[in-house]
Amino acid sequence: MLDEILVGDVLRRARLGGADFAELYVERWRRRALRVLSGEVKEATSGIEYGAGLRLFYGTEVVYAYTNDLSPESLVELTETLVKLKGSAGQVDAQGQGGLDFRKAVAQGLHAPAIPFTARDKRYRLERIREAEAGAQVSPQIKQVQSNLMEWEQEVLVANSEGKWAEDRRVRTRLYVTAIAQDESGMQTGVVGPGLSVGLELFDRYSPAEIGRKAGMQALTNLRAKPAPAGSMPVVIGNGFGGVIFHEALGHLLETTSVAKKASVLSDKLGEKVASEVVTYIDDGTTPHGWGSSEFDDEGLPTERTVLIENGVLKSYMVDRLGGMLTGYRPTGSGRRQDYTFAPTSRMRNTYIAPGSTPREKLFEGIEYGLYAADMGGGQVRPGSGEYNFAVKEGYIIRNGRIEEPVRGAMLVGKGPESIKRIVAVSDDLEMGPGMCGSLSGSLPVEVGQPHLLISEIVVGGQA
Amino acid sequence: MTFEEARDYLLQQARKLGLEAEVLATHTRELTIQAHGGRVEEITQATQGGIGVRVVVEGKTGYAYSEERTPQALDWVLQEAHENALLQSETGGFLPAGSELGRHDLLGEGLSAPLEQKRQAALELEADLRADPRVKQVQMTRYSESETQATLGSTRGVAGAFRNGYALLLTSAIMGEQGSLKQGYEYELSKEFHALEPGRTAQAFLQKTGRLLGARPLKTGRYKAYFEPKAFGQLLGMMGWFLLSAKNVLEGKSLLAGKIGQKVASEIFTLVDDPTLPGGLASRPFDAEGTAARRTVLIENGILRTFAHNSETAQKMGMENTGHAARSYKGVLGIAPTNLFVQPGQGVKMDEGIVVTDLMGLHAGANPISGEFSLQALGLKVEGGEMAYPVENFTVAGNFLELLSRITALGTELEWNPMMGIVGSPMVEVAELSFAGA
Repeated sequence: MLDEILVGDVLRRARLGGADFAELYVERWRRRALRVLSGEVKEATSGIEYGAGLRLFYGTEVVYAYTNDLSPESLVELTETLVKLKGSAGQVDAQGQGGLDFRKAVAQGLHAPAIPFTARDKRYRLERIREAEAGAQVSPQIKQVQSNLMEWEQEVLVANSEGKWAEDRRVRTRLYVTAIAQDESGMQTGVVGPGLSVGLELFDRYSPAEIGRKAGMQALTNLRAKPAPAGSMPVVIGNGFGGVIFHEALGHLLETTSVAKKASVLSDKLGEKVASEVVTYIDDGTTPHGWGSSEFDDEGLPTERTVLIENGVLKSYMVDRLGGMLTGYRPTGSGRRQDYTFAPTSRMRNTYIAPGSTPREKLFEGIEYGLYAADMGGGQVRPGSGEYNFAVKEGYIIRNGRIEEPVRGAMLVGKGPESIKRIVAVSDDLEMGPGMCGSLSGSLPVEVGQPHLLISEIVVGGQA
Repeated sequence: MTFEEARDYLLQQARKLGLEAEVLATHTRELTIQAHGGRVEEITQATQGGIGVRVVVEGKTGYAYSEERTPQALDWVLQEAHENALLQSETGGFLPAGSELGRHDLLGEGLSAPLEQKRQAALELEADLRADPRVKQVQMTRYSESETQATLGSTRGVAGAFRNGYALLLTSAIMGEQGSLKQGYEYELSKEFHALEPGRTAQAFLQKTGRLLGARPLKTGRYKAYFEPKAFGQLLGMMGWFLLSAKNVLEGKSLLAGKIGQKVASEIFTLVDDPTLPGGLASRPFDAEGTAARRTVLIENGILRTFAHNSETAQKMGMENTGHAARSYKGVLGIAPTNLFVQPGQGVKMDEGIVVTDLMGLHAGANPISGEFSLQALGLKVEGGEMAYPVENFTVAGNFLELLSRITALGTELEWNPMMGIVGSPMVEVAELSFAGA
């Protein structure tokens, strides 16, 4: 995307200006969004985003600048301004004077799309969306269906003053269907939104009609659901997006962004038993076509599969470059950023609890009274204490080992580090679900996942 | 390609393809210097810009944008905008006809001071605050500046460009005395770096936050309210503008729908939006569709005169376009205020009541659709015409339109607030409002 001589020149100027390390990140996005409400196109937008971010390290102090004027004059001026702002101009660093010999690494196409966006026109997309809408009409009580289709293509180049040069290409597609059901008692929603690092073959992997049907059924279930009970009880959390609880209440505590500042209750606990031994927790940036996968991270390191917790013992954190410098831990290819307007920090990719050996039915056996949280919605967590609260999107009462009537409005409340100690059984039906994770370096695509699992005791906040 | 070359290229290609097109480009340069603990903690330097097109085909409107200015990228933008338009079901879209609007510079050399002086400004403000023993923690101190160049053109003859910007000193800190803690913020905003004075900003912070120390609980009840300009400006920027946007009126969300010519506020209340104000922070020569700027009286002596329109809402409602079109290069056509202000009055003479100095949680506690608000506030109790003591842990609640009709006096001095758009207000006295406290 950018000439090697120019990139080398920018990095060299930064080093000459006294920076210990310089990194240039360049990207180009093509984004398309299509929003359809009850069969009518409400919004169709397309755009190219294009820019560069320059990050300089002075010890562990960091300065960052970005621009989307990528002309040589503009990039050189940006570098000079940044150096001047740091007030270190004139300190010539002898090491910075030599030429940079880049070692180039280029993506192999591990997550490349089978059906590129250019293979089909916009009418084709609109027809698939209308199939999803038709699928959602499972009852006359479904009053409204909204569908969002997102298509992203991102080309990335990361080069740094250590001679690293990495080029990646990331293509992602997501269809997000919201169904609204209504009767005299009120209005309830159902949401289904699969997304992967693929092109338009998303529609082959997930039939639009089936996506719609699931959203419609969930809205209907919630419509006939009764208010959830309140109290402390055993809870079975469903597979797939159910993993969002541990993403928030455990995953974020294992990023060096909070670990380095000792702002995480799991700081300095490597090698210690932090979870029940049925828990193995993995963050994998290499899953083929995963929503949160890429070949390189946004600091140019190859992504990897990082085992965070193995049989209950803390094995690794998620480490970016700065986090590695501050903590001494080895970087794990976890440096990520939303786009060029953000400096990277340590972030999750596709994070999940590994499959266990308990058959799913066995999880429910012996539960006299409890909650089955089949699908989860959003929530909040405080990393300092690990306290979280999450809304259950689709829930049922468990009575004498059987899944009975649906309930709505349940909140799961607890502390992440305590809840993982109370995971008593993990099933073998691992599934993943896509989501957007917001943190210091912006909003990023990630997968969360888990098999069905049983937590012996958790506080359920409900109205009944 | 420069932004103007990119604009001309897009318009030329659009004409070749037989498309009606409007091109809007903005280019912003920003600098932020953050001081903490006597040193510069964080610096962000950014230049960001892009170009967005709106095309109309067969009465259908489509949008696309690019931050890259190559013929290849711009061709893609036009093609996508064209396809996006054809997908729409709604027809009746159009681009307004226009003319040559010229190039305007509303900023001049206001930000041209050397970097070192800007660093010093941030450091000085922080040092001045820390010098006061009542300041327990300075959370954030920053100097920031922003400079924007906007360029507009259309196949229907609109062409123009302007440049504007500002410099800002901002701080947020905690003061404490005898167990009482108060968090506050203060800022100075100007088009001239040299008009900013760190010492004055620090003094303003110490005075405004310091007077709230030692606050007592407030007894629940109905009191006369004296809104300071900052507090009233927040409420007006959030609630008032929402009610006056013709887009919200058309979507059935505004309580003011159907009330043109009727009394909607106290007769001493006049609300004006003026993009032509000399030195105004939100001044501009024309709006996002190229409609020339002019002063609009929205509410005159309590009577609703007009809503704020762009060409689309004006046509739909059969009313005159007030030139309030707004659009970012990534976004779609909307409506936004410029320099929005309440005309100052004869002065406020305090007797008994509560001075409201600041409001919090506006996004959660104020519902512009219903007009209801219930907001946590900071303030001072007024007794016998004097500010007697600070009060805390209370909320002020009411309906925004009722509040407007109960305004009994307005201060003589206008003060500008940049927190919710650029909003100007004098001190505002309201006959009675409900306060909930101890």
